[in-house]
Parts: sequence; C-alpha cells; structure tokens
Amino acid sequence: MTIDGITPAKILRPESIDELSQALRAETGAIVPVGAATQTFFGNPLRRADCALDLTRLSRITEYNPADLTIHVEAGVTLEQLQHALLENKQFLPLDPWNGPRATIGGIAAANAQGPFRATGTIRDWIIGMKVVHVDGRISKTGGRVVKNVTGYDLAKLYTGSLGTLVVIAEISLKLRARFARTATARVRCENAAAAAGLLSAIRSSPLNPVSCEWVGPENAVWIRFGEHPSAVDWQLRNLPAADWQIIEGAGESAEWEKLRQHYHELGSVMLRVIGLPGTVSEIVSEYKPKAWIAHVLNGIVLMAVSTSDEIRAIRSRYRVVVEKAPVEMRREVGTFAPAPAEYDLMKKMKEAFDPEGRLNPGRHVDGESSK
Amino acid sequence: MRREIIDRLERALGAAAVTTDDTELLVYECDALAIFKNKPDAVVFPANTQQVAEAVRIANEYRIPFLPRGSGTGLSGGAMAIDGGIIIELQRMNRILSVDVENRFAVVQPGVVNIHISQAVAPHGLYYAPDPSSQSACSIGGNVAENAGGPHCLKYGMTTNHILAIEAVLSTGEVVRLGNTAGEACGMDLVGAIVGSEGTFAIVTEITVRLLPKAQAVKTLLAAYKSFEECSQTVSDIVAGGIVPAALEFMDDKTIVAVEASVYRAGYPLDARAVLLIEVDGFSDGLNETAAEIIEICRRNNAYDVRVAKDEEERARLWMGRKGSFGAMGRISPDMMVMDAVIPRTRLPEVLAEINRISEQYQLPVANVFHAGDGNLHPLILFDSRRQDQVDKILTMGEEIMRFCVGVGGALSGEHGVGCEKADFMEMVFTESDLQTMANVKRVFNPSGLLNPSKIFPTHRGCTEIGRPGTTSTEEIGKRVEKMLLGQKPRAHSVLPVR
Ligand SMILES: Cc1cc2nc3c(=O)[nH]c(=O)nc-3n(C[C@H](O)[C@H](O)[C@H](O)COP(=O)(O)OP(=O)(O)OC[C@H]3O[C@@H](n4cnc5c(N)ncnc54)[C@H](O)[C@@H]3O)c2cc1C
Repeated sequence: MTIDGITPAKILRPESIDELSQALRAETGAIVPVGAATQTFFGNPLRRADCALDLTRLSRITEYNPADLTIHVEAGVTLEQLQHALLENKQFLPLDPWNGPRATIGGIAAANAQGPFRATGTIRDWIIGMKVVHVDGRISKTGGRVVKNVTGYDLAKLYTGSLGTLVVIAEISLKLRARFARTATARVRCENAAAAAGLLSAIRSSPLNPVSCEWVGPENAVWIRFGEHPSAVDWQLRNLPAADWQIIEGAGESAEWEKLRQHYHELGSVMLRVIGLPGTVSEIVSEYKPKAWIAHVLNGIVLMAVSTSDEIRAIRSRYRVVVEKAPVEMRREVGTFAPAPAEYDLMKKMKEAFDPEGRLNPGRHVDGESSK
Repeated sequence: MRREIIDRLERALGAAAVTTDDTELLVYECDALAIFKNKPDAVVFPANTQQVAEAVRIANEYRIPFLPRGSGTGLSGGAMAIDGGIIIELQRMNRILSVDVENRFAVVQPGVVNIHISQAVAPHGLYYAPDPSSQSACSIGGNVAENAGGPHCLKYGMTTNHILAIEAVLSTGEVVRLGNTAGEACGMDLVGAIVGSEGTFAIVTEITVRLLPKAQAVKTLLAAYKSFEECSQTVSDIVAGGIVPAALEFMDDKTIVAVEASVYRAGYPLDARAVLLIEVDGFSDGLNETAAEIIEICRRNNAYDVRVAKDEEERARLWMGRKGSFGAMGRISPDMMVMDAVIPRTRLPEVLAEINRISEQYQLPVANVFHAGDGNLHPLILFDSRRQDQVDKILTMGEEIMRFCVGVGGALSGEHGVGCEKADFMEMVFTESDLQTMANVKRVFNPSGLLNPSKIFPTHRGCTEIGRPGTTSTEEIGKRVEKMLLGQKPRAHSVLPVR
C-alpha cells in the first residue's frame, strides 16, 4: 500500500472495534486509516505514515431493522454489501459515489464521496449516528439509532468529510429509504454547449423532479434519471422538454450509469469540484472551457478536468473549488480545500482539539494547507 | 448589573435597545417551558450583526454570561438565562434580505418568523419546508439552533437539511461566514455542526435557507381508530410498505377533545380513541394510487372512518387542529408539560402502553399527539401548577417516560432539544467519553463558556431549584404562546399580566 508516495511501515487489520481501539492505544506514530483504498488520492498530500489501519475487516452489519428503515454497519462494510443486504426488503441507500460499489461506508463518509444521486442528497443526510475511535484509543459515539434525533451535538457532521483526520470512524448508523418503485433514464446528446444549457435551463424551471441530472461534456450529453411512483415517472417522461431523448429502462439502465461512473475516471488526471449555483453552471463551463466535465446541474456543481495550477487559481478567484484529484505536487501547491479564513481557523482548531499531536493522517486536511 | 456595563451596552446599541427593568425582564425569565425560570440581568435588542458582536464583546470583557433568544417558543429551556447575564434578543433582525427564485434559496435574518419565509416566496411557487407546529411564531434562528422539525420533516428532512450557509457571531465576538449557497460541505461540515447546537456554539445572524418548489398535488387523510394498537400498526405498515408520506401524525382521544373544544376545532371524531392525520404529496399522477394504498392499509387495521380532505379549506382545517393541539390543551387542563422523545417506530404500541401505565400510577393524565411517522413522541403531561403535589410528580413522571423510551433504543429529543430540561438525562444515553467529546467541540466554538452556559451537559443541580417560584405561571405562558400562534404576537417590550 502506497499513498502519495509513502508506504506505511506497517499495516494493522483490526477485526473488531475493540481491536481498533487497542491498536490506536498502542501506536505512537502517524496513523493512516484506510477503507477499500478507492480514493486515497483525495486530500492534501500525506506527510507521514507509520501505521496504516486497514478497516476492511470491520465488515459486519451489526443490526438491520427493516421495519424501522435503519441499519447499523461497521465502517468496513462496502456499499455493495450494504445494498445487497437491503435488497430483499426493497430498501436502499441512495448513494452512488464515483469511487464505486466497492468503497466502504466509512470511506464514503470520511471523504463525503458523491455521485449522480447528489441531487437527492449526500451521505450526511442519511447518517443518524456514529461510533468513532479517537487517536488515543478512546471510543465515543454521537447521534443514536433512531431516524430523528437532536440529543446532544451532531458531531457526525464534523466527522463526515474530515478525511480521517479527527477520529477513525468505526461504526455508522444510517436511515434508509424504500427503493424507487420505478426508475427510468432519459438521455440526449445536444449539438453544442449552448443547446445543452438551454435544455437544462428548461428542465430546471419545469416541474420535473429528477433524482439525477448530469451534463456530460465535451460531448454535451444530458442524463436525467427519475425515480418514484411508476405513474409519476411516466408523467415526467411525457413532460420532458422537447429533444431527441433516448429512454433507458429496465436491466440496461443501471449498466448505463455504471458506464458513466467509469467515464468519470477517464475525464482527466486533474479533477476539480467547482461549486457554483444551478444558474451559473453553464457560465462556469463556457468561461473556463474544461477539457471534460460532468455537472450535477441541480446542485450547481461542476466536476471538471483541467491541466494547470494556474487554471485552478483562476477558478478559485471566483468560485469555491475542491481538488478531487491531482498529482501530489499540484495538490501541495494549490491545496485541496482552500477554505476561507474563518472556516480554516475553526477547522484547524477542531483538528487540534481532536488530535493535538497531529498523528491522524498528518497533512491530509487543513493541517496540510493554508487558508485562501 | 453594574451601571458601567449597562452604560457600555447602551452606548453600543442605543438606550432603547437595552432593558434592565425588573417587570420587563419577567417576559424573559423563561421560554415556553415555563416550569424552569430565571430572570436575566439585562436584555438587549440588537438591530444588526455588528450590534450583536458588540454586545458579545462587552459581555466577554466583563465575563458575564450571555445567550441568544428568538421568539422564546423553545420547549427545553434553551433561551432561559439559567446563570443570569445578558439575553440577546434577535426579533428586531427580522428581514428577509433576498430571494433567489432561479436557484431556490433565500437569505434571511435570524428573527424572521418561520412561516413568513413561505409566505414571502409563495408567489414564486416555492416554500421553506421545515414546519414546526409553532411556525407562525418561532424564529428561523431558533429553528437553526434547535434543528427544529415538524410534521413534514418525515419526507423533507429537518432544519439541518435546509440550511445552506450562515453568518454567525462566535462567542468571542468574531463574525464568521460559513457554508455556501450550494450547501456543499468542503471538508468538515461546520454549518451542520452549528445547526442543532442550541445556541451554545455561536449566535447565528444571517441564514441562507433552501427553498423547495411546491408539490404538484397533495392529499390529506384522516383515519379514525378505536384502539392505539391498530393506529400504531397502521403507521408501521405504511412505513414498511415503502410509502413515504409527507406527514404521518398521531392524536389520541384527549387531544381530540381538547382540540374540538378550542378555536382550533377541526372536526375530528370525538368517539375515536386515536386518529392519524396522513398526507401524501408529489406528482398528481400516481398520487391517487398511493392514497388508495394508504386507505387500504388503514382499513386493514380496522380504521372505522377514513376521510379524504375534499378541498384546500378542509385540508387547512385538519392541519389547524394538529398545529394548535398544544395550545388547545388549555381547554382541558390548566397546565401541561410537553415532552419530546424518539423511539424506533416499531416500538410504538408498547411505549404508548407504558406511558398509559405511568399516567395511571401517578394519577395525572397524559395526552399523546406526535409525529408518528418518525417515532417522535410528544407525551403531554397535564397538571395544575397551583397544586404542589402535582408539580412534584411531573418531573419524576417525565423521567420515567424518558427512561423507558431510551430503554427501547430511543433518544431524548427529536426536535425540542436538551436545553436545561434534559441536561441531567444526558447520561442515560451518553457515556462520559461521549460527553467529553462533545465538550471538546464546544470548547472550540465557545472557549470561555460564557455563551449560553449550563445547557446540554449534566449539571446535577436541577433546573427548578434556581428558578424563583411565584412569578409567571405556566398558564400565563400557555396563553402567551397561544396568542403568538394566533398572530397577535406580544411586542418585545410589552409587559404581560402576571398572575
Ligand atoms: C405550541 C408549540 C409547538 C411547537 N412545535 C414544534 C414542532 O413541531 N417542532 C419543533 O421542532 N419545535 C416545536 N416547538 C418548539 C420551538 O418552537 C422550536 O424549538 C423553535 O425552533 C424555537 O424557536 P424560537 O425562535 O422560539 O427560539 P427560542 O425559544 O427563543 O430559543 C431556542 C434556542 O435557540 C437559541 N437561539 C435562538 N436564536 C438563536 C440564534 N439566532 N442563533 C443561535 N441560537 C439561537 C436560544 O439560545 C435557545 O437555546 C413548539 C413550541 C410550541 C410552543
């Protein structure tokens, strides 16, 4: 295992949360928690790695209550494993991160990984509780096991997206939803960016309520997915704005989205998440002319392939940008998150409060960059 | 409070925006949970963020506790000045600053009343989804602080799912902006951490809220039952059947009687043991089928009457009864204590039975009106605050109910927060390590601890002991809240009659 060119001196594979806690208690060096290693390129460059904690053996579904629509899983449970367990009760977790079904739930939470279902929310919206292990081996929990809860601070919000730099996530409680009674995808290839932008604008101002709405460039394909009551899906298909839509349903539908997921990984070696508004997506694309992109149109987020640090800086002068993927040198140069000063300050203090010696994933989060 | 401090506050905010008058302070001795009271030493009414920050800096300089307050409709004592000090009242900051129709968000000040947002954006076919029953009175700042819920949170999520960005004054007086209009957390989700922190992390001074397009169609149903069990089973069957109603509310016979005797009269059947108020929304196509499925589930569980609201007027009336149900309790009892607990939905029957048992044991009636779809209970303990024997019982009763809910895998609060009411119960659900972690995070936001002290964490000194008895009665608070809900909001400075 090598992350950002660093190979940890040793790898531990705890098989229970207690073992994980003991391992952390015993270690004194830099600790790198790892799930399925599908996204180890994300974050600021790692500085040190004395001990990697491979969490894939924390793979138990500890409790599943179908009638309550809740499930409690260890951090190493994969998305695939989870969805599979939910299948027989016609339930699922509406997450389809680009890093794929092999990603672990803990990893998806730590990286706040997302995919086309972004329009329906992110993992933060489904987490109802977490058990975590602190750098000194101490175990604590936040939230609970019920679907609605305001007892105490919602620390899961801080752990989500913290890239394993505050605590090691050991167990996650999630609420679930019923599988969409029916899904269908409408796809069309537009003549040019202006045509795509026009079509997307028509969709945004229509009553349609897609669960995914992606603009894929430079080929200017628009992908829309509906998921709900069959009659409501039908109505939406009938009321699409005029275009030469190809309707994809049935067994082939998921396969097409899987192709798009693979396509994401081929967009380029430098990928940015540019955060704008639904109404500025086309402006972002036309102004920065990325080589390739996938935009979550309803959220105003453009994932784009660029080439140079200067481009990143230029976009950052106007938009919030997270570097999703880039060579180590470039990440070191521009920083992954570039938080505003106030956010940076609070995150830095948070890091110090949880991990005063900076031993959890050193350098990965705000401790690896300066503010904007 | 020392004259020097008052002078400083008056200079910073203007003399009219500071009060230390004993009678005026009475209004601020508690929130809507009237059994816990303590008067602040001063109340200030800032007009903008700078004045909030200025008041916070002055409080820091003199090391005086301070806390924000919205409309004071909180039900866990969150806006109560338990250690005295300065209350920073935000009702003057009540402007909707901008609405972005295309991108579906609004930027508002914290004192804006929840329902005013939906009213303001209605012409654009949009609304703000979280709808606490107190929505005609509570402030959006208070909603953010409590992560408020409401009937429609079953489908649309709590406040935390609708807050995109905030401006806040930290406990040091520093002003920060967090989050972005896309609601995309970059790194740690600081906005998400502040939502629900009950005014102990920061004073929120500007809020960017998500707006949703109104559903194409809505169907509202009322199903009446002769038993709690059949009613609860219907809830389980709907949830397990994969239907996501917009709302799924439970009201028992005591609630029905109170509502029907009040101005919130909704035409609920007086012979029912319990009713379910069920709403589904979405595209017109498919909605009739979903409603039919629900009616079928109700009938299978022996609902003896299922009514579908035939028009918007009937729908509004059915909801009026539900939203006014807390206020309506005044018709059947001088006082009530609103509880808030969450249980796994499948445990409803046994929990309701146990609440009934506890009610009989203590000889105090308990009414049940709650968000059944997510298992969020609101047992209302009915009592008379003039009878000390009853007052003595309610806290023990409340604790017993809480313990039972926690015992079946539940939580202490689904939407009203911990405040001072449940601070001592926190150890029922959290270990020392859990609480230590929360305290560490609180120290990052609120290092001096002066911002809203003695809340959330166990103090073991008992909230009531420090309250001075014989001030505002709970009945009076009930009336005050009812007045606010009916839209005759008492002005911040008006002095309410004291019994
Ligand atoms: C009849 C009735 C029905 C209710 N129904 C519901 C319901 O369905 N769902 C629900 O969730 N709640 C409900 N509540 C409870 C209450 O209305 C909510 O908790 C509401 O969010 C409180 O808002 P407020 O403006 O009154 O806050 P307050 O009571 O003034 O304050 C509540 C807390 O928020 C803090 N606070 C206030 N403003 C700010 C700010 N700007 N920044 C930071 N902290 C701040 C205070 O310090 C305090 O801790 C109900 C209450 C009543 C009386």
